[in-house]
Amino acid sequence: MLRTSLFLISLLLSSVFCLENINEEFEEHLSIKSLRDGRVTSSFSFTTLLRDAIPRDPRTLAFDDDISQHYTLFPLSLGQILRQYAITELHLTLNAGKWNYDTWGYPDEPDVGVGAELRAWMAGDSISSIDERWQGVRNALAGLFCASLGSLDEQRTTSPRLSFPPEGALPDWGLPHELRHASHASEHVCTENLTPFLKLLPCKSLSGLATLLNPHRIFDADWHGIGLHVLWRPEGVEVRLNVQLVSDPLRISAQGKQDWSFHSLFDRKVEKACPVASSTRVSVELPNSGVYRVYPEPQEIKDGKAYYNLKNNNEAWNIGTMWPTDFEYRICHAALSPPDPALVPFSVTRNLLGPTQDRGELSIVLTNNQQDTLQLLYLETMPWIVQFYLHTIRVHSDNVPRDDLVSNISYVLPVPHARPATFESVLTLPGRSTLTFSMDVAKAFLRYTEHPPDAQRGWDLPPAIFTPLNQSLNEPMSLGSRVYTPSLLVDLATPDFSMPYNVIIFTCSVMAFIFGSVFNVLTRKFIVVRLDPPRNQSASRAEKRLENTDSDTSNELNTSKSGVH
Amino acid sequence: MDGQGLRLQAFLRRFFRPAGDPNLARINRRRTMFSFIARRMTVLKLALFIAGYVWIFSVPSSQLDRGVYFDENALQPGQVNAYWNWKEVHDADHFLGELEILRDSNATSEQRSQFIMNEFLRIGLPASTQNYEFTGLSKGLNGTNVYAILRSPRVSGAEATIISASWISRVNEGDGTLNLRGVATVLALSRFVKQYSLWARDIIFIIGDGYMEGMQAWLSSYHGVTQSNLRAQPLELTSGVVWTALNIDYPGHSLSHLGIFHEGLNGRLPNQDLLNSFQYISRRTGVPVVLYDHKDELDLGWLPDNIRNHPEIKTYAAQARNLWRHVRYQASGRGSGVHGLFHQYRIDAFTIFAVPAAGPHGFHSLGRIIESTLRTTNNLLERLHASFFFYLLTSFDRFVKIGNYLPSVILISVAMMFGGLQVWVDAAWMERRLDKHEEGSTGMVWVRRRRPVLEAVSIVLGTHILGAACFFFLSHKWYQSLPFTSPLLWVAAYILPLAVPRFFPQNITDNIAPLSLVLKAFNLCLSSTVISIISVLNFSLAACLAVALGIPLSVASSSSNGAMGMVRYTMYIVLGFGWLLLDETRKQMIWDWDILGVWLLPFLCVVYYPLSLQAALVCII
Repeated sequence: MLRTSLFLISLLLSSVFCLENINEEFEEHLSIKSLRDGRVTSSFSFTTLLRDAIPRDPRTLAFDDDISQHYTLFPLSLGQILRQYAITELHLTLNAGKWNYDTWGYPDEPDVGVGAELRAWMAGDSISSIDERWQGVRNALAGLFCASLGSLDEQRTTSPRLSFPPEGALPDWGLPHELRHASHASEHVCTENLTPFLKLLPCKSLSGLATLLNPHRIFDADWHGIGLHVLWRPEGVEVRLNVQLVSDPLRISAQGKQDWSFHSLFDRKVEKACPVASSTRVSVELPNSGVYRVYPEPQEIKDGKAYYNLKNNNEAWNIGTMWPTDFEYRICHAALSPPDPALVPFSVTRNLLGPTQDRGELSIVLTNNQQDTLQLLYLETMPWIVQFYLHTIRVHSDNVPRDDLVSNISYVLPVPHARPATFESVLTLPGRSTLTFSMDVAKAFLRYTEHPPDAQRGWDLPPAIFTPLNQSLNEPMSLGSRVYTPSLLVDLATPDFSMPYNVIIFTCSVMAFIFGSVFNVLTRKFIVVRLDPPRNQSASRAEKRLENTDSDTSNELNTSKSGVH
Repeated sequence: MDGQGLRLQAFLRRFFRPAGDPNLARINRRRTMFSFIARRMTVLKLALFIAGYVWIFSVPSSQLDRGVYFDENALQPGQVNAYWNWKEVHDADHFLGELEILRDSNATSEQRSQFIMNEFLRIGLPASTQNYEFTGLSKGLNGTNVYAILRSPRVSGAEATIISASWISRVNEGDGTLNLRGVATVLALSRFVKQYSLWARDIIFIIGDGYMEGMQAWLSSYHGVTQSNLRAQPLELTSGVVWTALNIDYPGHSLSHLGIFHEGLNGRLPNQDLLNSFQYISRRTGVPVVLYDHKDELDLGWLPDNIRNHPEIKTYAAQARNLWRHVRYQASGRGSGVHGLFHQYRIDAFTIFAVPAAGPHGFHSLGRIIESTLRTTNNLLERLHASFFFYLLTSFDRFVKIGNYLPSVILISVAMMFGGLQVWVDAAWMERRLDKHEEGSTGMVWVRRRRPVLEAVSIVLGTHILGAACFFFLSHKWYQSLPFTSPLLWVAAYILPLAVPRFFPQNITDNIAPLSLVLKAFNLCLSSTVISIISVLNFSLAACLAVALGIPLSVASSSSNGAMGMVRYTMYIVLGFGWLLLDETRKQMIWDWDILGVWLLPFLCVVYYPLSLQAALVCII
């Protein structure tokens, strides 16, 4: 009896399940690629599509009755935040490491800036309502992901004009849409961020590709990052959760081979597919040359990629690639073989030069690896502690001054203690050239309460972002893939917040006191001057003599020699 | 008890606020005090001098120093397992073999750097070379640095640590002994550290060409500092802010002790915590540590046995030897090695010097110690700070605190200041026999007289301008190319000031004080100020100045006998400018100033020589 009723209930549930599934669709995908330097990049993406849903119109925020939220696959906790603050598009990434564009190429997910980066597109009829919702959403996400996103406050928030176009569509409500962007380079990503991240997945990490997300291995990878992307397309609202990592099999195995497999990279295998996923696919990019073996036998090979569908199989999957020989790093023999060409059209290095704590120079070196001229959109979102002197911008192309190569400068001035600077401009890189952009900066002197804990570490500055502008005659201008530079660390004049600091303060007070007294003694002389009226002649004469002893021009005789004059 | 307290209170009140007009009482009290000091000025001065010199010479004693301790808790030295093992030793031996082949084939620095760069690339580290060339005085000094950067996993690359070795070892201050084993250690280390993901910051490996100059070129480029006489290639690879650096020097075949060399350019010192961590780790690993390369005991054979074997004397001798070495490095401003170049960029650095010996240690112990020290600096959350920059190491594990060494020099400087003020006051007064017919005569009276301040100030300024001119000649290109320039300059510096008395003829009157007295007062006060200021920046230099100038300047006096005056004049000039005739010293100082920017040469010319010249002029005016 019991068994029958259980069966019936489960049947009922599964039918509801199937019904709901029509509106919600969950797909998971993993793409793995061996890199030139022996490392392996794996990019997980988990996409949930909520069909026919539209973001909340901010004008309905005044009314409490929002539509009821019933989801089966779509993460409810996230949906509530999105509707509460009427977010149209949202991107959150938490990354660690430095993406090496030259040898790794462009990442699958372009947002690879170090630390935390959050940006949102919101509609609104007033700036204050947008700022309020921006504050709300970053606090809510901070709670959801256990990350210090609350510190992405006004001092880090900017609204760049061009660099972050919406990835999806923006609903036409007759309201302007605004972008809010903030990044925090010193935020570290760790297990406490991954756990809530996995909870947003319908199968958690119990089945499907998410099984592979082993924190011990993810957070040991050379580069790792997790991301959340919410965007709206006319077919519905899409939530994409992604994990990207670059592992080093040569470091993990210490065998000198670049072989990898699920087991070697993640210490796990995919035991079973996620039942609610409409597709579970793995793609492996096949190396261009050399002898290697991909196992198990791919189901499909297309465009240099091997595809596996993990959905219809109940075996444990351990996809991998093997090489017969040891991996060897490329070396360059003087002029015989030039170093490997970079995998991206242009390379960037960004440095803050200057050994002092009050001035410095922001220096950017861009190398165009192509024949064609490149146009780059350059964005700096700089906290006010580093202030630019725009009149000192110097642009050199192959050591020749070329001020014409920088154009379309837009600059939002920083407000000390309140707002960061936003600097956007277009740089033109002639083909096969190196462009040097430098600008003098001033480093701010902080109030002593503004120093963070571990004050002597300095301040992390967010990465700069370069976006190629693709311009062709018959098409409108479009943006290429964003390139993030590594973050910078700036030393500001910092007091020594420790016991000796107090000693220094105390000593300075004593010195000031002693100086005052000594100066007093050296410059002034105290003598007795009687002010009461003279009673007789002799008294007045005596007084006169006393006064005269002080005047320098006097040659009057003095009977005593004074000590220090 | 209570009654006693009240009585004391009453007494104090009577003393400080006597009956009557309090202002009058205060003025009188002050007068009494000043005249008390003034009357005993000579005794006081002498006491200060004696106390100062005794203090300076007792700094090496074991009574003034204390054991080292850690101030930065984040360091946690020696808390990790070292993984460096025989496989890495094998790597180092392999690299050493390759480097020896290069050495034997007389490879150029270009070939050498190419080879080292390829080794870095083979290990899997991005590597590059940097060509540099010095122009101007040291024309033709060039070379190629090679460096590699470990982009540590998981970190943003905003911070970095440096491990460096220069091609030429510091043996005899860079006499040309090659640092092959040091370079091999760096190569093996670079391969070793790449296997781990625990590094909190990037690690930069640099092999600097030459002894000091290569690293100077590299560091200038890295920090974007331009040096007018240096043409250095911009660095292709960069990383973040550097907090600490280790420089490895392993010239011998094996090592018995590890030596610490820590003095930087212009008297800078690294944070003491770094040195403390290293010596702690090294001793825990089983390798004895020494300061510098002082592994043998000082030979005191000339002393009687019972004095020589007294523990206090033995300690004093050993510590005095260490301190004397320290004073030479610090006062010369040159530092004691390649690590000294880092300090100007706020990088705490020191050299680990493998003291050459027949054994028993080698790559194995050295590697483990460096690994552990690297792990310790890896623990830092922030720059090494606190005020652990003021210390004198008397031994590798003992140091003198600033409070225990600074007063010695300050006392001498105070004595000079008092002397100067006394001369200044004396110059204003003259004792005169009283005319018979004046009433109330007591025989002698004091008369005021004018002090020729303007003349004295112009002489002081003139001497400094002359010093600056000497510096200009010394640092000029043709100074080196022409013969006999140094004796000529010396003679010029000797003869030119002799014209001063002609410009300031002395009219001996009772109304005007002699110029020599006022000049001496200015000279003493200025020297005292210079010494006290230098004492915080470069204690060794201040101590040398105090010893060289303290008594000599105080005893300068004009002589009625012309010949005697000239003898004294000559002695002061020799004291102030004698170093010019020491060929090696002068060349070294010019090189240091030109290549490394060491301040000693300009200091000697613009400050020290004029100070003794002023004293010399006191004798002949």
